[in-house]
Amino acid sequence: MTRNEFINRLKQGLIGLPAASIADVVSDYEAHFTDGVAAGRSEAEVAAALGDPSRLARELRAEIGLKQWEDTKSPSSAVSAVFAVLGLGAIDILILLPLLMGVIGTLFGFFMSAIGIFIASGVVFATGAFWMPGGVFAALLGGVGGMALAVTIAGLTAIVSVWLVNGLVWYARLHYRLLKPALDAQNA
Amino acid sequence: MAETIDIQLKKGVLGLCVLALLARNESYAYEIASTLSDAIGMGEGTIYPLMRRMQSDGLVDTRLVESSSGPSRKYYRLTEAGHAALAAQAAEWRGFARSVDALLEAAPTEPQPAPTETQEG
Repeated sequence: MTRNEFINRLKQGLIGLPAASIADVVSDYEAHFTDGVAAGRSEAEVAAALGDPSRLARELRAEIGLKQWEDTKSPSSAVSAVFAVLGLGAIDILILLPLLMGVIGTLFGFFMSAIGIFIASGVVFATGAFWMPGGVFAALLGGVGGMALAVTIAGLTAIVSVWLVNGLVWYARLHYRLLKPALDAQNA
Repeated sequence: MAETIDIQLKKGVLGLCVLALLARNESYAYEIASTLSDAIGMGEGTIYPLMRRMQSDGLVDTRLVESSSGPSRKYYRLTEAGHAALAAQAAEWRGFARSVDALLEAAPTEPQPAPTETQEG
């Protein structure tokens, strides 16, 4: 494999990451080739010693995806972290997936019901005075109470979601560190 | 698919080796990779995901050094957390190696007729 082939396959494996991250990774490997050739090795030798670029790309993608989740706990970084973990091909996680889907579905349900309660309480708060038995005060109190309940449910659900992704990331890192590094048996 | 004990061991101690190397003096990735490739026979490409992880764990930081030939070069050096991790992991490794040595000392060197099962990770 030539230098260009290696870099192209690496880039292909990194598609979808931020351009700055890709440029950073590519410059690392470009420098490696430059140093290797300066040390008197051929491009093919350097490429062979580096290992499979697609597999390196998967590892780097996981590393960068997990880092993004640690830096910014946003829904999109959670999704990319989860996909990066799946990309490692950790079989155990695929087995976990049905269970995970159940948990995610439940959390989603909680979020939806929180939104529902919030809207219903808002309606009670705004219009309850006209139709609720017990008068204006009961309607206002009931409405505020319902909205507070909804916000509490949503907040708790968010906390549990963050725990869940953190747990997954922790598991993946452990797994990845112990079992999946791209270590080639180099007999050089 | 044959995962030898050799590979499993290297996976575990690669980070420790990099810490030890950088404790002596700062270095750039190609130098780290070729040193470790010669010393313990690891794949050179592995060093980049590893350095990235060590950097995000705060064990190393980088600085760019102007080079007379070609683009500037990224040097890695240990942070304080990196030195602490080295001390802790080195102690752990020495204790572990001592225990394994003790077990090997006690084991008979002649092959035994007992069934041997190979466990793969």
